[in-house]
This record gives sequence, structure tokens and C-alpha cells, in this order.
Amino acid sequence: MLSELLQGTDIGGFLLIQDSCTYCGRDLLKSFIEAALNREEVIHVVGFDVSEGELKDGLKSSVFQRLHFHNAFADPLGWTDNSPFTVHQFSSSGLTELLNQTAQSKPATLVIDSLSWILRHVSPTAVCHTLQQLKKGGAVRTIIGLLHEDMHSRGIVGSVCRLATSVITVAPRTKADEGLAKITRRSKSGKVVQDEQIFSIRKDLTVTVLSKPTNFGRKQSNTEEQVDPTANLTFNLRLTDAEREAKEKLALPFVFSTEKKTALLHSGPGSGKILYEPDANDDYDQEDPDDDLDV
Amino acid sequence: MNLRHYVTTNMAAPMSSVDKTPAECLQLNSTSFQKKTRSKFISIPGTRPSVQNGQLLVSSGVTSLDYLLGGGLAVGTVLLIEEDRYDSFSRMIFKYFLAEGVVCRHELFVAAAQDDPDDILQELPAPILDDVAIHRPGDQPRMSCEPQDTLDAMKIAWRYQNLPKVQSALASSSRFGHYYDVSKIMEPEIRQAAKWHRFYHPEHPPPSSGTHSPKLESYSALLKSLQEVIQREGFDLNAPLPKSRNILRVGLHSLGSALWGDDLCCHDNPKNVHALTSFLYGLRALLRSSLSVAVVTVPSHLIQDRALMGSITRLCDNAIALESFKGSERETNPLYKDYHGLLHVRQVPRLNCLASQLPDHKDLAFKLKRKQFTIERLHLPPDLSETVSRVGKGEPAAAACASATSSAKHLDF
Repeated sequence: MLSELLQGTDIGGFLLIQDSCTYCGRDLLKSFIEAALNREEVIHVVGFDVSEGELKDGLKSSVFQRLHFHNAFADPLGWTDNSPFTVHQFSSSGLTELLNQTAQSKPATLVIDSLSWILRHVSPTAVCHTLQQLKKGGAVRTIIGLLHEDMHSRGIVGSVCRLATSVITVAPRTKADEGLAKITRRSKSGKVVQDEQIFSIRKDLTVTVLSKPTNFGRKQSNTEEQVDPTANLTFNLRLTDAEREAKEKLALPFVFSTEKKTALLHSGPGSGKILYEPDANDDYDQEDPDDDLDV
Repeated sequence: MNLRHYVTTNMAAPMSSVDKTPAECLQLNSTSFQKKTRSKFISIPGTRPSVQNGQLLVSSGVTSLDYLLGGGLAVGTVLLIEEDRYDSFSRMIFKYFLAEGVVCRHELFVAAAQDDPDDILQELPAPILDDVAIHRPGDQPRMSCEPQDTLDAMKIAWRYQNLPKVQSALASSSRFGHYYDVSKIMEPEIRQAAKWHRFYHPEHPPPSSGTHSPKLESYSALLKSLQEVIQREGFDLNAPLPKSRNILRVGLHSLGSALWGDDLCCHDNPKNVHALTSFLYGLRALLRSSLSVAVVTVPSHLIQDRALMGSITRLCDNAIALESFKGSERETNPLYKDYHGLLHVRQVPRLNCLASQLPDHKDLAFKLKRKQFTIERLHLPPDLSETVSRVGKGEPAAAACASATSSAKHLDF
């Protein structure tokens, strides 16, 4: 499933990468950027956590004209007068304006590194509102965000995850270059699919998916065998083909010929109707106790 | 509030007066028997009185849920659904509720902050239409103009072939509670025949007034919009009622989530603690004085303050909580393999009576099948293994009560 997500086929989606201090998700984020650049997409990165140089380290330098980095690392809170990008510009109107400044033919992919920084300075309701509006509006094709889940309370993490169409939670493995990814994908129809995969990221930022972790496969090995009820009996319940044919050919008792059937079916209107007129002997009991019954 | 006089009959079409000749009363019903009825009031389609206390009930769309809640949702009450983690099953019940409204010809009011109400309405499940009437102009009851095909269709029950599967008369279904096929979408013709109102939160930008009130602008705009719809469309019981009455089904999706502008889910000590509770108070007051029913879903797994969740539950009448197994460690528990999640009934109301009808069993599990959402009692399978010890093997049951797995297994005394 990780490889499908890397191919970036869902439009209008919001992919969230959740990491913690034990395993940094930025490498996976960079692989997503690399994969998107290889697909000839235009990428806008809003960088709060790390500087431009550090983020671009490892990406192939030939594709940098499609990667627009908005430097929010230098002065995010606007302490100097000329800050390239402040945290308060993170609103749907601000971002749409920013994206429209660079003339482009198709909607861009927005990468946010990281949402945690924004959530500490802007109220979570405003951030969720912005993300929802960006998802619905046409300026952005997909949003990829990085969130450090140990920096926030469960409620905030949960609220942001609710907006995401796919969530990848990364955790470390015993081997240093491997990571464990727990993926949750929500489709349009509301179906939720979960998966766990071990992956490793190579130097050129391509992701190789290794085998599934063993304890996840335990569920599948517990499938019951379907018991065949017609086996192990002292009498024969199965039908051979010849017997099945004979069974179909058998004339059932009340099956009539076609002419008689049509004659009975078209037996004239109103033959099944009951016409009843209450006569003098019927009592019009106003207090009919049966009226209260609800059957 | 006593709605007892809105008695409805479940049988064939009620007559308005007894002196009409039966011949005149013969509509396109399948039987011409008509029950004498003494009530002069026009019954509202899709409702029935409760057998317990005479309240007017409406189906919630899920027949097993109706059974749990004492026959159905009482008109004028609020059902609170605490959402499961990924909002898949609570959304399904929300859609069932709206679909039931479309099938029973009730009016709908849908409010949401995340998805556009149009999109929600387009995803409604298709009803299984054995006896639901759809108005298709020009549709005749199917006579066998193609004798070969229709006669071959039924080999044994061929006498029933020509009975129309669909009533072509414009009559609402007399059944209470329908079944829906989740894999199909409701047809646009049925859906467009329903009248509905919408409230999509992003369309109502808050007025930039700096007044600090306990209510949030989003909730007060929603309440005002609902009140206006109730008064304009004639659901208000205080105003003189129009001749033909109907029920308004109100669906409010994910109240309290961050997209409504509420920080209940985000902070442990939210600033607007009383916003949602005062909204629910106003909502219930509005519903009690009108012919409407509301279903509210709340993402309770994000709300950290249990006391707040308790007061939200108290402010609604019925309250159920869904807990889905997906993603939790219970998914692999063999006890739960047939089900999709657990259902907890948090509250059942006492409407005009001293004691409420609690469900018999407290351990309930649900399963979403293609044609039915079933809620069943969860029971332990008989333990047939050789080493049966009373405490050790009861571990799956203990897991039902506490989420932490106990480390001391197989305690043998």
C-alpha cells in the first residue's frame, strides 16, 4: 500500500505522515517529494522545521525548477519586518495567493513541514479549517503533511487525522535503516483499510517495501477451513450431473401447461376482491379495544 | 408533551369517513378490506404510536436499533451517536436515518461541516423495494405481455407473477422500518422526490462581531436556521398546523469537531466549554415544540473531558456509542470475529412515564451486512477445551470490560 501512496493517485486527498522522536518521518516525506517530482508535478513546500538546504539535500538537483520552497524557517513569527513567510500566512486565502503567484498550468502539490509547528502557534480549529478548505478548493492537488504526534495532545492529533484521507504512522525497527509504517486509508465510500509494512529508504530517496511484519500475519493464519457438510456422511448427499438433469426435468405437481397458466392468470379483473358492506347486525363499536393494538 | 392523539394505523389506507361506499374507496390496494377507524385526524406516514407509552415513533432506519430504543425514535427527541474512530459506522447510521426519511416522505434537514450535505445525500443507500411505492409516471402493473419471459421467471409460484411488484399509485409505504442495500446508491428519482434543507457550515461565515458569548456563532447560526425552517414549513406545534402534516428529520453530523469551530476535541480545557451544551439545550427545546426528530453525531473519542461528555449525553434523550474493532487490538480477538464493533447504549429517555424501557442485554455488538445493520447480543461461545479453568479462560470476557490485557494468565487456584 505504501507504493500505491507513493504513486500519488488520489487527487484532493490529504496524506499525513505521523512520526515521533524515535523515528524521523522527514526521510519518508522527502521520498514522497522525490516521487512527485519524478512525476512532473509542481510542488510547493512550506518549511517551518528545517531550512531549505537541509530539505533539498538528497533530492536530485535537476528538478528544482518545479520545487518552490517557501522559507518559513528563517522568521516564522514575523519578528523582523520582511519575513518571507510567517505562520499567520497559513490560511487558505494566504496559501492560495501564494500558489497563484507562481504561474502554473495544473494544481500543485502542497507539502507542509511540519504541521506541528503551525499547531503550536495557530489554533487547531483554524488549522483544520484551512486544511479542509484547501482540500475542497481547486488550487491544490494533494496535501502532504508531517505531524509529530508526541508534541500534541491526543485530541489535536485525532482532529487532524480525521481530515486526512491517508495516515502513515512511522515507528522504528530494530535495524537502523528500516522503519515500520502503519497505514490507514479512508476511501470515498467510508471504507477504511489498514496495513502494516516494513520499509527502508535508500540514499536516492526511493522506498523499498520489505516484507510485512510477522505478528500482523497472525490474523490471516487463523482462517477456519470451510467445513463441507456433504462429506463424511454415511449416505450420499451429492448429485452427479445426470442426476441433476433428471431433477430439473421432473414435472412438478401443480405446474400446468402454458395455456392453462395464462388462462388462470388472466382470469378477469376483480376476482380476488372482497366486497363487504356492513349490515344491520354489525355493531359499530366506537370503543373498539382492538384499535389500541399495534400489530 | 402528549402526542397521543396523532394515532396512526398500520393497516390498509385509512378512511376519512365511514359513509363512503366501499366501491368508491377501492384504490389500487391489494385488498379491499378497510378498517373502521374512529380517529378524525390525518395520520402521518412513516410513524406509529409506541406500544409502551403512546408516543409517536419514527423509525431510525435500522430496525435492530429501533428495537433497542423501544420501538423507534420518539418525535421531539434527540438521538446522540458517539462516533467510532474512523466515523464509518456512525456515518452509516446517519445515512440510514436520512434514507428512511426519504422513503417515508419526511422532510430532511442536513447540517455538516466537513462534507457538503449534497454529497451526503448522494451517498444514501438504496432501499430494498418490495413494497415501497415509487411514483413512476406511465408505469402499468406488469401484465404478461411477454408470456414466455414472465412465466419462466417463476416456476413454482407462477400464480403471483402478475401481481405488480411496485405499486404504481403514489402511496407511501405502510411499513415501519425498511431495509437498505448498502452496496447500491439510492436512485436519483426517489431522492429528488424528497424535500430537504441544508446547512453547510463553510457557507455561513461568522459575523465578525467581537461579542464573547457562551454560544459559538456556528452553533447559533445552525439553531437559527433550523428554527426558521421549522416555522416556515409548518412543523411548529404552537402555530396552527396545516392540513397535511409531516415530520422533519434533522441530521447534524460531527458536532463538536474542530471544523465547526469548536475546540472541545482539541484542548483538555476548552475555551468554549458551554457552546455545544447550550446548543443541545436549545435544540431539544426547539424539537419538543415541533414535529421533528434529530440525530446528532459527536466524535466522543476525541473529547478528553469525561464530565463534559456526560453532560452532553444528559442533554440528549437517546444516546448510543459505537466502538469499532478496526485498528484496535480487539480485531484479532476470536470472540469478536463475527462482528464489526461493539454498541453501547448510554441512555434511554423517560418520556411521559416514570421508568424507561432499558434493553435487556448490555453487551451488544453490531455487524454491517450488505442488506442489514444487525445489532446482536454478544455472548461467549461454549468453552469446549480440556483445560477449562474458571478464571483463566475467561480472558476474552475480561477484555470486554477492560482494554488492558492482563498479564497474569491462567490463574489456577
